[in-house]
Amino acid sequence: MKVTVLQENLARGLSIVSRAVSPRSTLPVLSNILIATDEGRLRLSATNLELGITCWIAARIDEDGSTTVPARTFGDLINALPSDQVQLTLDVKSQSLHVKGGTSNNDIKCIDAQEFPPLPVPEMEGAIQLNVVDFKEMIQQVAFAASTDEARPVLMGVLLSVDKDKVTMAAADGFRLSVRKALLSNPAQQPLSVIIPARALNELARVSTDGEEAIYMVVPKNRGQVLFRVKDVEVVSQLIDGTFPDYQQIIPRSYKSRTLVSTASLLKACKQAEIFAREGSNVARLDIKQSKGEMQPGEVEISATSEETGKNETIVEATVDGGSVLIAFNVKFLREALEVIRTPNVALETSAANAPGVVRPVGDDNFLHVIMPMHLG
Amino acid sequence: MTIIICPMPIRLLSSEVASQIAAGEVVERPASVVKELLENALDAGAKNLTISIADAGRALVEVADDGLGIHAAEMELAISRHATSKLVQSDDLFHISTLGFRGEALASIGSVSRMTMTSRVESAREGARLKVEGGMAGKVEKTGAPVGTVVRVEDLFYNVPARLKFLKSDVTERRAIDSLVTRYALAYPNVRFKLTEGKQVSLQTSGDGDRRAILAALYGVEAAKQMLEVMAEEEGLSLSGFISPTSLTRSNRKEITFFINGRWVQDSALNAALMQAYHTLLMVGRYPLTALFLTISPEDVDVNVHPTKAEVRFRQQDKVFSFVQRSTRKALLAYTPVPSVSPQLWGSHPLPVERREVGIDWSMAAEAGEQLSVNSDQSSVGSREAMVESGQSIGNRQSEIVNPSFASVPLLRLIGQIGATYLVAEGPDGLYLIDQHAAHERVLFEKLMAQHDSKIIPSQALLTPAVVTLPPQSAKTLTSQLPFLNHFGFEVEEFGANTFQVRAMPVLFTGGEPEAALRALVEDFEEDEAPLQAEVEARLAARVCKRLAVKAGQVLSNEEQRALLSDLEACQSPRTCPHGRPTMIHLSVDMLERQFGRRGAR
Repeated sequence: MKVTVLQENLARGLSIVSRAVSPRSTLPVLSNILIATDEGRLRLSATNLELGITCWIAARIDEDGSTTVPARTFGDLINALPSDQVQLTLDVKSQSLHVKGGTSNNDIKCIDAQEFPPLPVPEMEGAIQLNVVDFKEMIQQVAFAASTDEARPVLMGVLLSVDKDKVTMAAADGFRLSVRKALLSNPAQQPLSVIIPARALNELARVSTDGEEAIYMVVPKNRGQVLFRVKDVEVVSQLIDGTFPDYQQIIPRSYKSRTLVSTASLLKACKQAEIFAREGSNVARLDIKQSKGEMQPGEVEISATSEETGKNETIVEATVDGGSVLIAFNVKFLREALEVIRTPNVALETSAANAPGVVRPVGDDNFLHVIMPMHLG
Repeated sequence: MTIIICPMPIRLLSSEVASQIAAGEVVERPASVVKELLENALDAGAKNLTISIADAGRALVEVADDGLGIHAAEMELAISRHATSKLVQSDDLFHISTLGFRGEALASIGSVSRMTMTSRVESAREGARLKVEGGMAGKVEKTGAPVGTVVRVEDLFYNVPARLKFLKSDVTERRAIDSLVTRYALAYPNVRFKLTEGKQVSLQTSGDGDRRAILAALYGVEAAKQMLEVMAEEEGLSLSGFISPTSLTRSNRKEITFFINGRWVQDSALNAALMQAYHTLLMVGRYPLTALFLTISPEDVDVNVHPTKAEVRFRQQDKVFSFVQRSTRKALLAYTPVPSVSPQLWGSHPLPVERREVGIDWSMAAEAGEQLSVNSDQSSVGSREAMVESGQSIGNRQSEIVNPSFASVPLLRLIGQIGATYLVAEGPDGLYLIDQHAAHERVLFEKLMAQHDSKIIPSQALLTPAVVTLPPQSAKTLTSQLPFLNHFGFEVEEFGANTFQVRAMPVLFTGGEPEAALRALVEDFEEDEAPLQAEVEARLAARVCKRLAVKAGQVLSNEEQRALLSDLEACQSPRTCPHGRPTMIHLSVDMLERQFGRRGAR
């Protein structure tokens, strides 16, 4: 193999695929990145057997070939080279890759490409086309609510369902639920419902830069995996097997009290409360009070107490429809939900101290977040 | 003043007193009545066994079987002491193949209760009934009865109030009966068992020989599914049954069950053999669940050691020990998964259906790794202790680690800090070396615990209620505690037999599973420990250690050192850190003098 590439292209490609490298593995080849010539371009691939990322970069190819290079050594080296052309020459016999950039000459010990797990070659026919900006926002608004607890694998994923021109993502960790809907520009041919690991979606959001036209998604039959393609990057992930809880049942149908409040003010109040709440059990109380008179606004009093450090109370002006409610939440959950809401105002729907609370952006019906309350005995 | 002892004449005890004393050995509690009657029924070759209990066995224990029955003519003899059909001459004692042989059970039970025995043998046209009250037998009456024997024991210990006083709570006594009957059901899968308490059926087995189904009744379905089967045979010994995989453990030895030739025994040597099989695979303080059935030639085992026959002696103890240890270890290792990477995802093969199993393997492999690391940790602790011990033995109190049971610390005069890690102080009885990190951990830990005591555990509601099925014994414990669960941040409702719905769980566990949390709570209840105390402590200790306490290698100013000493003096148990390591080492004046040769030879 003899290839010449631009240093910045190679560095960008490596930074994209290196997130799928498995840093500690008993299979040494998984700590490596596959580099292979592929129809006039250079293909970079990495996988930890759960998630795989492939990226194609422009290259001048003098001789075809492939090998796998240790990810850290190669990545660090390329980043340190001058932004100029880089020559990669493989000595097949010794599996040694000669890397020449500027006046720097390096030889890296490689592992034969034959040992690298074969990557699936997808059929892109019938792919679902998703808008990059929308899809990234969906991931951002949903994936954080997924569980990190390995005991319940299903909840570590995001449920993605497609029906005609509607796409919905939902994630829950047992204490909160995030649901985001969007429309497809081209209706899908058949309905689809899969559970994708939250981590894979986060990586997808990271590699797909704004301004690119579309993300294409395929779920090959009976393979238990999903494949996304954005321009010159492919992300493949294993799907999570199982049944996602019926989240529609969890969303409260009605509410007793609806509180309209500025997203930024409430977020700020939550951040202040969290400074104290995090010492204990993250509990923050929300005292939602109706307006006392005609011209007076209602208010939400957010408070947190720590046995060790003290306490905090913040009052945020609000429009309260319905009765007053005193309810406690895990303030971290509330803060994380508010952080992904784009609208200037947010509505908090509550019924009772022991009933779930719903957070909705005002003027955007596509997102909602359910948080289960806490109680102090 | 002189004390005059009145000589009392020596007398033979009246038969009533003697029988009550003897009964005390055999009949300790309602569960022992059940055990004796069950064993009789099984010896009689029963295929169907019905056990009825009322008021935790105090008011009624009734065992009905369809075994051989007793001849009307032998009824009276049957209830007298040392009367049995199972043994003729003393040589027979050395190859006992029946469960009973002492001929004491019925007499003992009869002497401490109101007992009615009804029985018919197949050849007789009518049955016979005999009533015994406090050891006094009535007349044998003729009556209609099915083939088999029914023994009805009412008002147990009505004439031994002292015994009655020593009975534990109803829940405990019931649990003892439950676990006894379930274990016998497990040992005799071909016999149909039915246990009813009042109107409630708490155990019913089909008698079709399927042990795993009974295992499910004992440990719950999930646990039963995971249990590993043991099957081994060697030179007249055979071992069968079930052991738990390393991922399934309990915090006590209660679930370790051994049967020898169909008899439930508690033998410390067998337990030790089992624990050795699990050696390095389980964390400290965790024990497996087992139900193991050892078959051994009756000549090689002496069961006539203890009146309740719970203890046995083996002719070749070492052989049995090593056999049990090897065969359980083999079964355990055969199932312990070898971590292997399967690049199935990337190949062209379709997703295998058994993917879930692969998942389990992976998680078990991960766990095994964890446990290994824990163990290596432990061994380092062990070696350090060994070092300390050897030090002690050489210098005879060279460095005495202060016994943690001496609660308080003497007044200390600070001398300084060495190695930026230890404080040196003088006490009235010598020199003290104090580990600054451990000492600070202790101080902070007690401070945080004090704050915690006053607080209620906050609870977090679950998005969807989790349904948890517990084994019947645990379920009973939990049911009795349901009203108090709120206090610990749980919101739990009963949801059918042995099944509970968890709607909220304490914040302590968030990130964990509701099921695991509930189990931890039940275990605390079962061991009569302060519920969740261990979790609270562990969490605080971890926090204190990681985030708050000064580290070794941190230089402390004089004021800081002094403050640490005075804070430590104020602690309730200042001599150990929350993880149990010593905070201080004491070098006594006496020891120093010996070391310097001021007082005799070393």
